[in-house]
Amino acid sequence: MVEFFTTNPFGILILTVVKALLILGPLLVAVAMMTLAERKIMAAIQLRRGPNVVGPFGLLQPFADAIKMLMKETIIPTGANRTLFLMAPMLTFALAMIAWAVIPVNDGWAIADINVGILYLFAVSSLGVYGIIIAGWASNSKYPFLGALRSAAQMVSYEVSMGFVIVTVLLCVGSMNLNAIVKAQETIWFVIPLFPMAVIFFISTLAETNRSPFDLPEGESEIVAGFFVEYSSMSFALFFLGEYANMFLMAAMTTILFLGGWLAPFGIEPFTWIPGPIWFILKICAVMFVFVWVRATFPRYRYDQLMRLGWKVFLPFSLFYLVLVAGVLLAFGWLPTAA
Amino acid sequence: MIAQLAFYAFAAILLVSAGMVVSARNPVHSVLYLVLAFFNAAALFLLAGAEFLAMILVIVYVGAVAVLFLFVVMMLDINFAQLREGFQRYLPIGATIGVILLVELGIVLGGWSLAPQSAGLRAVPIDPNVTNTVQIGRVLYTDYILLFQASGLVLLVAMIGAIVLTLRDRTSSRHQSIAAQLARTPADTMELLDVPSGVGTKGIGFLRPKVKEPAKVAQDNHGHIGHDNHGGHH
Amino acid sequence: MGGTTDMMLPVPLSHYLAVSAILLVMGIFGIFLNRKNVIIILMSIELILLAVNLNLVAFSAALGDLAGQVLTMFVLTVAAAEAAIGLAILVIYFRNRGSIEVEDVTLMKG
Repeated sequence: MVEFFTTNPFGILILTVVKALLILGPLLVAVAMMTLAERKIMAAIQLRRGPNVVGPFGLLQPFADAIKMLMKETIIPTGANRTLFLMAPMLTFALAMIAWAVIPVNDGWAIADINVGILYLFAVSSLGVYGIIIAGWASNSKYPFLGALRSAAQMVSYEVSMGFVIVTVLLCVGSMNLNAIVKAQETIWFVIPLFPMAVIFFISTLAETNRSPFDLPEGESEIVAGFFVEYSSMSFALFFLGEYANMFLMAAMTTILFLGGWLAPFGIEPFTWIPGPIWFILKICAVMFVFVWVRATFPRYRYDQLMRLGWKVFLPFSLFYLVLVAGVLLAFGWLPTAA
Repeated sequence: MIAQLAFYAFAAILLVSAGMVVSARNPVHSVLYLVLAFFNAAALFLLAGAEFLAMILVIVYVGAVAVLFLFVVMMLDINFAQLREGFQRYLPIGATIGVILLVELGIVLGGWSLAPQSAGLRAVPIDPNVTNTVQIGRVLYTDYILLFQASGLVLLVAMIGAIVLTLRDRTSSRHQSIAAQLARTPADTMELLDVPSGVGTKGIGFLRPKVKEPAKVAQDNHGHIGHDNHGGHH
Repeated sequence: MGGTTDMMLPVPLSHYLAVSAILLVMGIFGIFLNRKNVIIILMSIELILLAVNLNLVAFSAALGDLAGQVLTMFVLTVAAAEAAIGLAILVIYFRNRGSIEVEDVTLMKG
């Protein structure tokens, strides 16, 4: 029976599908719950109650929203490019999902434990810009187009410094395998020696996911809602789901790169009793909380300030820190031996 | 078996999308087909065991170069119908040359063989026990370091060239001068007045915002024209 | 035809070569077909370079020689630089003339 799942092509296929469902099912539920959590946390910060009517503590609110979305009509503008208009949200959603194939939830618990895991994540996250550009262009309308251009420029700018941060971490690990990156943090989480890079990475993920204070592509005060002005019902919901799944992905990346993935803090007794996946989820939740906290706290950046921050502050600094880390590793002989 | 099926599927999509790149009516569709072509080429790289290059191809081409193309195609207001005028006219000659080239390549493909001593001529034999990335790193920074540096220079020149070509300092755009903003003091910008009650504007007159040395901005004409800096300029 | 003992390809080498040959021909065909549209010409050049890369990687895997993959990286670099410069020239050309017709470039003063 076990051989069927490890040797037979169909067995492997079934096993992979089951694994994927095991990741994606909880992810989608988490996305639904995240929308509620975000509204609740922001309400608490702003001294309000938040959604509290549907179900106990408003717990059923996301599902009510989802049903509402499903019942509405999908409106396609006359001037729009039909195929691309409908493809864009699907692309965004699919990209946010496929990245989870390489995320290790526990030691070796990944659907695909590939050698170039971090590059795969980087590649998939750099593709996210397409969903937005296509949506903005296919809508054939001014505001979405402006939003799409802004977003594309923004994502491309912040990817560069994100790349440098990732390279810095790779220098300390000596492998691109995500499992190895987490294992390298057994003695100390990278957030401590690489603290400035962790901060840059987190801010860059905010910009990468178009979250406030970098939510210019959808800045409702100036360009209405940016690239998804023309979207309604399920196509809008797909964008929404994709965006939140992307936030979870970025939180998972932050966790793996800097917060020690599934490892218990300090690796000492009472903490190690809790299994790895729980730690992983807890850390993602903590990062997600900061996402919401930032949104409730900071005003939106102006566009030229955003570009300035990316190109004139983060890029030189991350480059400097990369060289510094390389120098320190070399001087003290701490360079990892390549496997 | 699965790998072979995957190869033929990816190769077919690659070739079809390459065909669409050159024949699509709308250039935006062309760019999107180009993205698809790169994606499938990356898959073919993966099947050949070049996992690092496959990911780099996606990151560099799909994530950066194709976005650049898309940007240019979308931003420039080009009459594409006019550009397609010669399409029918050039089709026969293009097809002829294409077929000739394909036949030539087919002849080459049918008649070549590997030199018997080729196994001994390998510059960097692949070690199956070491991961692809590590192996590339080992030779890239040692044997090929000069070429690596040279390609860095190529990129530097390209970057400088692209900036020099496209940078234009519009006199109408208003830049933010952060240093000037931070250097502001209340004395530069704020004036406290005692306004007697019941007099209104008659007593003190209309007040204009304080602007220091407005003439100097026009003088030092090096691209920073049109600042709205409130404090002194430099 | 093709193939030594340490063949790492899922299919015979000639299949890879055939794919990249067709890709190359398509790129050249694209240049002839879209003689007026520089953007498509640039994309066709990218296709040609992609065909080159595919060939290099296929041979690298078939012969068990990593040098091909290293060379592919350099080709990638040059291709990226070429795209950036090409598009920059395109943008200023469009700014000056309001069109991107290649044939107009023959006019020195426009």
